[in-house]
Amino acid sequence: MVQPLLELDKVTSGYGEGAVLQGLSLSVDPGTIVGVMGRNGVGKSTFLKTVMGTIKPRGGRIRMSGHDITGAAPFQVAASGIGYVPQGREIFKDFTTEENLLLGNLKATKADLDEVYRLFPVLRERARTQAGAFSGGQQQQLAIARALMGRPALLLLDEPSEGIQPSIVTEIGQMLKQISEDRGVTIVLVEQNIDMVTRICSRAVFMEHGTIQGEVLASEMAGDSAVLQKYLAF
Amino acid sequence: MSELAITLLDACNYALILLLVALGLAIIFGLMNVINLAHGEFLMLGGYVLLAVKMAGGSFWAGLVLAPVVVGVVGLVVEELVIRRIYSRVVDTILATWGISLLIKQLIVIGFGPGSYAVEAPFSTAVPILGTSYPSYRLFIMAVSICCVTATFLFFFKTRTGLAARGVIANRTMAACLGVNTRRLDRLTFAFGAGLAGLAGAVISPLISLDPQMGLGFLVPAFLAILVGGLGTITGPVAGASGVGLADNLTATFLSPVWAQLVVFVLAIIVIRLAPSGLLARKRRKT
Repeated sequence: MVQPLLELDKVTSGYGEGAVLQGLSLSVDPGTIVGVMGRNGVGKSTFLKTVMGTIKPRGGRIRMSGHDITGAAPFQVAASGIGYVPQGREIFKDFTTEENLLLGNLKATKADLDEVYRLFPVLRERARTQAGAFSGGQQQQLAIARALMGRPALLLLDEPSEGIQPSIVTEIGQMLKQISEDRGVTIVLVEQNIDMVTRICSRAVFMEHGTIQGEVLASEMAGDSAVLQKYLAF
Repeated sequence: MSELAITLLDACNYALILLLVALGLAIIFGLMNVINLAHGEFLMLGGYVLLAVKMAGGSFWAGLVLAPVVVGVVGLVVEELVIRRIYSRVVDTILATWGISLLIKQLIVIGFGPGSYAVEAPFSTAVPILGTSYPSYRLFIMAVSICCVTATFLFFFKTRTGLAARGVIANRTMAACLGVNTRRLDRLTFAFGAGLAGLAGAVISPLISLDPQMGLGFLVPAFLAILVGGLGTITGPVAGASGVGLADNLTATFLSPVWAQLVVFVLAIIVIRLAPSGLLARKRRKT
């Protein structure tokens, strides 16, 4: 039995008075890609924010590689080996591509940059361009590249397909799968795009009422989105 | 001819002093969004550190080096004890920093008395420039100001720590999620701004009379320079301080100091009315 890379044990959290996560438990094995699905407002983004520490959990425990990171500050969570690509990408629009990437790892060398540029050649061409001028797809690539700069063991992505044209979504999906295979990076992918989840995830979990309510393995999906649609229809 | 040269040099001198004062404030107010009413007192404290070093028998230069360090440490303590709790509460920062300014002023009154002091410049020669002779210490201050602005630019735009500081300022949560230690940078940035004020206070002390109330006279034009120049940039204060400093000094020379105040405020009101985010912010939006 492998030790899970990320482990959430009955985590509760929320905003103000309202509870969003209501005892969420999930464990993510190293090297896998886990899709997290669910309707709007079930707490998918809150789940990622709670792991990152931008929302403090009210109960339960979060462990990364066996270390307790419950309630840790976001920069400590990042240092534990987690890269985060938030919803809306949150790139630094007034900064150049290279500055954005360096913020992902302040100690990065030229070799680190080159490695990321090899994955995303378009970023190399625009290394000195202000990131605000990029298209949605390029911004998404930049956000993923920035998260990879810190060489994370785990990558958390919040709806990377949102607002991006379908051909680029496919490309980003393939890229994530490749990153997972080549670098052994574990990925937690919050996504509404059934196609992307079907194509790249080892398993998909479904959130409802702030907890995980169901799970489908890749073998069960077998490239068929109907299984997922059944879950999302409730 | 030589009178005109002196007038121009004096105006540049004042603008560069104002820039030096505004630079620290530009970091604390313009970048970190803390309306720091104690900035004038950080400046005053710098002057008194220099004075204390001289009274203790130390050299002017030792005082000049020590002033930014001491005031930087004071800034660090103020940030840790007060400011970090109120970053998101604008009104509270005004009240709290006003309280800190009163505290610093009273501590100085207790330590040095309410009277004023004069600090002698380390050299009092005059050098020929632009067909006239001009006090070399004033030229030295101008050089210090230009060096500080350049160093601040280089720090923020050419170092990784500066990049991280800009990242925290631009998007705090995201910078933290990328592993940037935001607390450390807050402390560092605030202390850096305070230290700059301390250096400004120390370096200008031979030109002014040092007293516990001197801070306010610099705080107001410095805030004005930042508002006119534009918030959130390092280039803004350069434009703002030049504009405010030159307009103030030239009007004071040719008309009177009363007119100077009037002209500066009217110009500032016009600029802020036409470009509410300041001169440079407006330019950036156009391009």
